[in-house]
Amino acid sequence: MTATSTSGKTRPQASAHRPNRRRKEALKGLFFIAPAMILVLVFFVFPVLFTAWMSLHKWPLLGAPTWIGLRNYTRMFSDERFYSALGFTAYYTAIVTVVIFAFAFPMAMLVEQKRRAVPIYRTFFFLPVVVGLASASLLWTWLSNVDSGFFSPLLEQLGLTSGRINLLATFDLAFWTIIAMVVWKIAGFTMIILLTGLQSIPAELVEATRIDGAKRWQRFRYLTLPLMRKTLALALVLSVTGSILAFDQFYIMTSGGPQNRMISIVYYIVNQSFVSFNLGYGAALSIAVLVILLVLSLAQFWLLRDKGERA
Amino acid sequence: MRKLLATTTLAAMLIAPAAWADTIQMWVRSGVGDSFKETVKAFNAGHKDKVELTEVPFSELVQKYATAIAGGQAPDALSLDLIYTPSFAASGQLEDLTKWAEGLPYFKSLSPSHVRLGTYEGHIYGMPLSVETSIFAWNKDLYKKAGLDADKAPKTWEEITANAEKIRALGKDTYGFYFSGGGCGGCMIFTFTPLVWGAGADILSADGKKATLDTPQMRKAVDIYRNMVKKDLVPPGSATDNGTNFLSITNGKIGQQSLGAFSIGTLITQHPELNFGVTLIPSVDGKPSSFAGGDNFVVTKGTKKLDAVKGFLEYVYSLEGQKIMAKYGSLPTRGDLANEVLAGLDPRMKVGVDAIAVAKTPYTLQFNDLINSANGPWAAFTHAAIYGDENKAFSDAQAQMQQIIDDAQ
Amino acid sequence: MTQARKSFQRRRVLGIFAFHGSASVLSLLFLTPFLVAFLGSFRAGQEASSPPIPPWPTNGFSLDAYRALDTFGAGIWQHTINSLIVSLSTALITVVISLLAGYGFSRHRFPMKNVLFVLLMATLMIPFQSILTPLFIMLAKLKLNNSLFGLTLVYVTLQLPFSVFMMRNAFDAVPKEIEEAARVDGVRDLKLLTRVLLPLVMPGVATVAIFAFLNAWNEFLAALIFLSSNDEYTLPVLMTAVRVGRLGSINWGAVQAGVVVMIIPCVIVFLLLQRYYMRGLTAGAVK
Repeated sequence: MTATSTSGKTRPQASAHRPNRRRKEALKGLFFIAPAMILVLVFFVFPVLFTAWMSLHKWPLLGAPTWIGLRNYTRMFSDERFYSALGFTAYYTAIVTVVIFAFAFPMAMLVEQKRRAVPIYRTFFFLPVVVGLASASLLWTWLSNVDSGFFSPLLEQLGLTSGRINLLATFDLAFWTIIAMVVWKIAGFTMIILLTGLQSIPAELVEATRIDGAKRWQRFRYLTLPLMRKTLALALVLSVTGSILAFDQFYIMTSGGPQNRMISIVYYIVNQSFVSFNLGYGAALSIAVLVILLVLSLAQFWLLRDKGERA
Repeated sequence: MRKLLATTTLAAMLIAPAAWADTIQMWVRSGVGDSFKETVKAFNAGHKDKVELTEVPFSELVQKYATAIAGGQAPDALSLDLIYTPSFAASGQLEDLTKWAEGLPYFKSLSPSHVRLGTYEGHIYGMPLSVETSIFAWNKDLYKKAGLDADKAPKTWEEITANAEKIRALGKDTYGFYFSGGGCGGCMIFTFTPLVWGAGADILSADGKKATLDTPQMRKAVDIYRNMVKKDLVPPGSATDNGTNFLSITNGKIGQQSLGAFSIGTLITQHPELNFGVTLIPSVDGKPSSFAGGDNFVVTKGTKKLDAVKGFLEYVYSLEGQKIMAKYGSLPTRGDLANEVLAGLDPRMKVGVDAIAVAKTPYTLQFNDLINSANGPWAAFTHAAIYGDENKAFSDAQAQMQQIIDDAQ
Repeated sequence: MTQARKSFQRRRVLGIFAFHGSASVLSLLFLTPFLVAFLGSFRAGQEASSPPIPPWPTNGFSLDAYRALDTFGAGIWQHTINSLIVSLSTALITVVISLLAGYGFSRHRFPMKNVLFVLLMATLMIPFQSILTPLFIMLAKLKLNNSLFGLTLVYVTLQLPFSVFMMRNAFDAVPKEIEEAARVDGVRDLKLLTRVLLPLVMPGVATVAIFAFLNAWNEFLAALIFLSSNDEYTLPVLMTAVRVGRLGSINWGAVQAGVVVMIIPCVIVFLLLQRYYMRGLTAGAVK
């Protein structure tokens, strides 16, 4: 059941295979993966190599590039705006991940129960996931608009605020509005992943601890959580990776936020490349992000690794 | 036989390109009104060559054009915000139009700011296509309701603020003043800098090498806006309006705001119910000023349809073309025809033409980075200075602007 | 009835109450934005730009917002059709390619298999915004820019890591014995894949197809950069124009209508195929 994602099925075949038979088999395998590999080579590997090449140049969007070696990379170390983009991205990632889990975990436990109407609730919780992030951002831009939107007139009519509050005008309000949007959009997805983890816990085990008199919290702490370690790690990694690459919501909802305080790292790359037209520097920043994500992926392998739980 | 045919075709193409009907691919930024679209329509109806227009969202136009050039897929011509012409010309991607332009009999009467911005190191790369100036507008109906003289144009900001207070008192949803303050660099350079220009200050030194943001005039201008925001004379939505609601006056609940002369035509045709007056934007000491904006027409270097493009531009400059442009809201690009073109049109258009005389346009290769970018120092400055920590806004923006200028040297 | 029994009964009722109470409140929170946008989009002209309280039309049902939306670009139908073409072909091509690749990675041995697989997965780690320029140059060289097909290929590539991963897991879950039995019967290779294995990995295929469809339907930045004529624009590009507004004022009615048009196909696809989708997703996620 819990075959790992990292290693292919390389169980030793019968040793009767002769070399040419094996070659035929290998050719067949390559034939099957060829279309995928060709697309990835043309539309991914080449552009990435090209990006690496560009990062070694001063590369204006228009006009001729000039070779400057590693200077784009050294420039990064003294670039205040790069640091603040990194800082903001880390801040956003930490907060949004915590809030998503704070919603998704209870939701998963709700819809794990075998009660009437559970499939309907699950569908409702999941519905925003299928909407695009851009559409969702646009929808929330309208909902959060102070003059024509939904939230602040509602708050005013309910008497919770005196006068209408512009939810996107100050950093904190705008930040939490965006967090609310992202949680609305993503929590259902995290919920489903956590749900699969919950469901994979054998019912007999739960029953056994119940009979042993374990309290609800104890069951959760000592049974559920440890058994869900891998699922949690997966959900965590997906959430963190997604948040680090966040762009649409800041671009669409606040255009970088009050006084540029919501510039995420991808936003900064897009700005450097396509607003300031420093394509070379933008490419270097992209490579930096790639390295950051690679490190995180190694952490992912480490978190998801099997600790010899299976024989 | 076939080879012969091919050769003759080739020869024909080489000898008489004008005999062939060309289709000029042209991009125009969206959201600038109908004047240019209508002119193209009229041109296509009466000429063998055709212009095929593609509307590109204005915030993405420059990026898209530059990417297209990199991929060798650029359109033949482009209607480019004039402030971008220097940096595009500097990159060597535009066709040099000097000879042809200077040969035009009316060259000397083309909008001077546009030609200045279209010129780089003595060569002309951009030609005026549409002229836009910033002006001040007020809602006459609201003036009347507030007991003000509806036909008396305000001359100072003290007057404007006092009027705004009276209009605000009219009701919950009625506001005295509006501006797009949500980090819209383009909006604010257009409507706000005239406050300091008229009083003799500027945000950049004449050679564009020094940021000169922190002046007594700018402090005064910022205080005027801050004061109005503090007194709740401006709708709360303005703090996050990144330009999408630039023409808020059209909702009939805004007493006064600065806008573009372009919009005069829009207001007249699209909002006939709005009874408004226009005047020049006063500076902090009362002397009026304006921003000369609009679009320059630029041609992608190496286009094969240069003659057709020139033919089209000459049509735009003809009396017929100028009249269509003006009818749909663009000011005349040819000074010598201005009176003739504007004859019979709404007299308020004249204010826009008058503004040309007092208008300025910054010349800098970093216009986008410094001013226009939603994430640049100017956009951040206008928001922070008016809504946030004023002193910090000044020092941050001054330093950042200088750094961008220095980095580019 | 004993005391203990009674208290147990009461606890049960309370539990049901608490469960449905909290679940309904959450459901309402998740549904409200949809309902407000959907109902609000049918409000007439001026009403559409006032706050949606109440969200439903009070001055009579109207399609004004949709008409306003139709005035942007080349008309809403044209752009919807473009979006459908791109999304459906992305889904189809993604399914075919990832089915083959998933099968290859799951069932065949060849040199550098793990390296190639990791290379494929690495696609997930690059913000594709940052490789737009090289991508554009590549498309232009292949004469595929400003074409819906070129855009489709880019979308397929972006879908591949997830899809191949899903399909490989789906094949991994199929017992080897089935395949061996089919082999004994003389069914091989492509035939084996389409006749015997395909029905078994259908949930995975559904997941891959739905994800590909939804992501292609919703993507805007690449569409904006790669397409350069009005007639080819997809819906999200149209929405950028709607968002920017026209003549200096944003038409909130058109924004609501546009969001509804963007959302409806996603919701329909999801509701219709939900069962497969969830099954595929859960099967793929825990592997």
